[in-house]
Amino acid sequence: MRSGVRVAGVVGVLLIGGAWRAPALAAQAGRISYEAFTLPNGLHVLYSEDHSTPIVSVDVWYNTGSRNERPSRSGFAHLFEHMMFEGSAHVKKGEHFQLISRAGGSENGSTAEDRTNYYETIPSNRLNLALWLEADRMRSLAITDENFHNQRETVKEERRLRVDNQPYAPAFIDGMTWPFDSAACFAYAHTVIGSMDDLNAAQLSDVQAFFDTYYAPNNATLVVVGDFRPLELRRFVNQYFSEIPRHADPSPVSCSSKLGPGTARRELTDAHANLPAVIRIYRVPPHAHPDTPALELLNVILGGGESSRLNVAVVRREKAALGTQVAMNPFDSRRGPGVLLALAIANQGVDPLKLDTLVSAQLDSLRTTGVTSEELAKAKNTFRAGFIHGRETTLGKAEELQHYDMFHASLAEINTDLDRFLAVTAEDIRRVAGKYLDPANALVILVKPAAGGGAK
Amino acid sequence: MKRAALVLLAVVSALRLSAQDSPTRPPRPLPLGPVRFPPFKEAILPNGLALVVIEHHEQPVVSVSLSFGAGAIHDPAGKEGLSDLTAEVLSKGTETRTAEQIASTIEGVGGHLSASSGDDFLTISVDALSDQVELVFELLGDVTLHATFAASELDLARTRSLSALALQLSQPGAVAQRVFTSELYGRNPYGRSPTRESYRAVTVDDVAQFAHTRLRPAGALLVVAGDVTEAQVRELVAKAFGGWRGAPPPSPALPAPATRLVSDILLVHRPGSTQANIIVGNPTTLPTDPVYYAGRIAAQVLGGGPDSRLFLILREQKSWTYGAYASLHRHRALGHWQATAEVRTDVADSALVELLHQIDRMRADVVPDSELAAAKGFLVGSFPLTIETPNQIASQVANAKLLGLGDDYLRLYRERLTAVTALQARAAAVRLFRRNALTIVVVGDGSKLYDRLKAIAPVRIIDVDDKPLTPAALNPVAAPVALDRAQFAAHSDSARVLVQGNAVGFTVSEVRRPGDSLIYAERSNLGNGAFRQQTTLVLDPADGVVRQVDQVTTQQGQTGETHLVYAAGRVKGSSSAPQPDGSVKRFDVDTALPPGTFDENAVPFVVPALPLAPGKVFAMTFFTPSENAIKVLTFKVGAPETVSVPAGTFQGFRIDATGSRVPFTMYVSTDVPRRVVKTEFAGQPFVVELVK
Repeated sequence: MRSGVRVAGVVGVLLIGGAWRAPALAAQAGRISYEAFTLPNGLHVLYSEDHSTPIVSVDVWYNTGSRNERPSRSGFAHLFEHMMFEGSAHVKKGEHFQLISRAGGSENGSTAEDRTNYYETIPSNRLNLALWLEADRMRSLAITDENFHNQRETVKEERRLRVDNQPYAPAFIDGMTWPFDSAACFAYAHTVIGSMDDLNAAQLSDVQAFFDTYYAPNNATLVVVGDFRPLELRRFVNQYFSEIPRHADPSPVSCSSKLGPGTARRELTDAHANLPAVIRIYRVPPHAHPDTPALELLNVILGGGESSRLNVAVVRREKAALGTQVAMNPFDSRRGPGVLLALAIANQGVDPLKLDTLVSAQLDSLRTTGVTSEELAKAKNTFRAGFIHGRETTLGKAEELQHYDMFHASLAEINTDLDRFLAVTAEDIRRVAGKYLDPANALVILVKPAAGGGAK
Repeated sequence: MKRAALVLLAVVSALRLSAQDSPTRPPRPLPLGPVRFPPFKEAILPNGLALVVIEHHEQPVVSVSLSFGAGAIHDPAGKEGLSDLTAEVLSKGTETRTAEQIASTIEGVGGHLSASSGDDFLTISVDALSDQVELVFELLGDVTLHATFAASELDLARTRSLSALALQLSQPGAVAQRVFTSELYGRNPYGRSPTRESYRAVTVDDVAQFAHTRLRPAGALLVVAGDVTEAQVRELVAKAFGGWRGAPPPSPALPAPATRLVSDILLVHRPGSTQANIIVGNPTTLPTDPVYYAGRIAAQVLGGGPDSRLFLILREQKSWTYGAYASLHRHRALGHWQATAEVRTDVADSALVELLHQIDRMRADVVPDSELAAAKGFLVGSFPLTIETPNQIASQVANAKLLGLGDDYLRLYRERLTAVTALQARAAAVRLFRRNALTIVVVGDGSKLYDRLKAIAPVRIIDVDDKPLTPAALNPVAAPVALDRAQFAAHSDSARVLVQGNAVGFTVSEVRRPGDSLIYAERSNLGNGAFRQQTTLVLDPADGVVRQVDQVTTQQGQTGETHLVYAAGRVKGSSSAPQPDGSVKRFDVDTALPPGTFDENAVPFVVPALPLAPGKVFAMTFFTPSENAIKVLTFKVGAPETVSVPAGTFQGFRIDATGSRVPFTMYVSTDVPRRVVKTEFAGQPFVVELVK
């Protein structure tokens, strides 16, 4: 599960003076050079060389996620992600983990609303192994009753571990889906992890259908970043992937959602929580929308670090919260409408309604008086630093390439996007605060502990 | 013709050569050159500070960490949390900068500054883009040398730490780790955790004194990594830390934990847990003990990752868990190892038995060659992944130095792992995984776990606050409770029903006293007639016990009726209720009941008539006609709260009820005559509020 914060592009001359280093390093920082090609079966391939460490990251994104699920079949994309590790025509159950691990690699995958990713980072002399494994499961995943039942139980335990047995988690995922209406936008109106009932009702035939529809080369992007030779990479990709047949393009997903209509509140009793909490949820536009950079900077000013509005006002001055956090699209960016969540966990003895009043006062101040020039500079500098750190590793770069390929109009924005952020003005931030943090767009969840918790 | 055939042949053969088939077995490795641990510069400065500089010029970033032997083991007894609070307040104000100025200065340039405390060490970390390296050192020096430890900042830190402790106690993984560490280390300070009392005992003088004595250069370690040169760093250190002298008192010798003689189970009762968190382990060795390498291999085979026994068996084979792992943990002094799994409650006993069996296997059987090669393949082969960023390199160097692992450690690490034999791995398992002296902690719903765990090993029970519990306390025994007869006076209450904040209907409740009899009646109308219910309960006027229930329910055109008679310890009659899918469920009822059983429809009458007081817990038996079932409902009474409803603002006891199909919370006015002021249902957007 990764933060949706994305920073991009670089202009070395904008770095603050007094640099010890030659400008060349600063100017290059964060730039990603890449090549692209597409196989006849539709598999889109991007690659970028990085010979600084003898490792390589292989990262496959399938253009599918929880947004492709239908009612009564929530949790499917995630369950499917688990199935992808269970073996394929030439790989036995457990062998995927075994082969990567023994080669000195690490692997994982994750499911979000719009995409599912599978990645491994491995010493560079095993590039062929990583690619071969990705190709074998793309072509011939072993969808058997045994694997299905095993991973379904595993996913149910994952849900218990992350959600049902934890304080605040059920309220948080409720908050992420509440802004969306099931009829108009089922895509985002349900949770990625899915409900226990739907998981229990899933059938093996559903899994096979999901694979046939979404797990195809024409619905995937393969990214390779690291220490390899392009000619060798192209040879492997052609050899392993070109025979995989394409499937019909999946049908598009639609979501209609509007801002408004007016503040709505919900109180949830949390049997596990000891402290009250408040979650405020606002609808935000798709990632590609021109308001996104201003919203991301607003996010940093509101909730980023010790100097953020919420930390200074609510945690430090009012002493009302143990901590505060702001997140936009916490699982990953979206092509459809998204959510901005502000979470505050109350100190002992603090009434959640009072806490909410303090949080919303900070949000209101952004709308009425805007941000200071210091805050704007902080947000931009935080972005630039985050952008550089996000591209320090081969996997980080691979994910950036995937992100720009899916969520931006042009992949070339990967090296120009930072300029958009650096061009945001204080007035832009005030404007987006006014538009998206309008009380008419606010949903509020008050989380209350069960008796026996709290004031001890 | 012949030429065409030749051309055709050439084309076909060209096609064949370029469409090489994908292999049916994993492709072999390509050659890989040797990879060395990146070079770094180190020195001991005249004031005793150890300095390490890792030059890494790929990205314009720099990070600095300054570690002191000032971790939690240095907290005096009764003031656990002192090191923690000192770390927190260190960055909250110096002689020339307020807390907010420090934060806005470093974050203003996109960097971070924080301090934290572990068992052995207190570490201050600062990072930023490398063009801000001067500022980084300036701030680091300022907080280290000139922190002011204001009382107001300590108070805020303490308030937050107390809340953080409450938060921690609500998280099963955190509770498990806390209890496990305490149980395993006993009187050894590695087992201590701060408590509410110990946080409250820490004073500003304690914090200032702690910092003054322990945050001294001799024996401290400063690691700088990133786009800097050693010469630059020396200059910046001299400037920021000029005049800084002194050595801390030696770290205390840590008493050995009491020797454990049996593996028994400590069960932490966490009601409502949907999983059991299992942790198993024991103390091991000092960090420099050469058994580490064989032990590392053994831990990897047992549970290092997804290619290890615990994961493959407990998750991939048995479907019991999302993940099960084992790992060695090193401290400056005595370390430990642990295996963990979070499993669904009904297989917790089987999972524990299997986990113990796998420990037995590691000790009894030699690891097969393929698994030994697998463990080395990962631990040695993954080396290039661990040196990609300057922070990764810095953290490996810091670890080796802080644990006193020796100058050869990083250079010879892979070689030493590679040399481990299967026999050595088994010997390490025998020595390190002490099967007959394991600490075993399970956090979960004791009412479901106790009997099953008892069959594996002796079980002691505590709650999440460390208070001992008896087995009887796990299952609240339902007992009859005498009702307050003052509540039998005639009255009538109207309440409105809200769904997601919108009024959808009303409920009227009445207590009537025609003649000598006592009647409790309710009628509800929701959704303008979509749901209507009328309930009449005839109660014994002496003690309020239910004698007769008559109920008619109409839902979306379907009608159900319930007519029950309670007499001589039985309930008899019939019950039918409309279902959401349009059908009607019907039962013939004839059931024996424990003494003091009420009909569940009487809950709004019974609860206000209980002898309510904060902290009380009532467990009572109810019969639920719509499910034809007997249930124990537990009512926990909390402190009075202010509740505002249309009928006014009341002080109400908050009562949480569990045991019914949907848990609910009722607020009952503290003033007599008591009224149900508000009712909420867990996880449902459904609220009932008193109107008059």
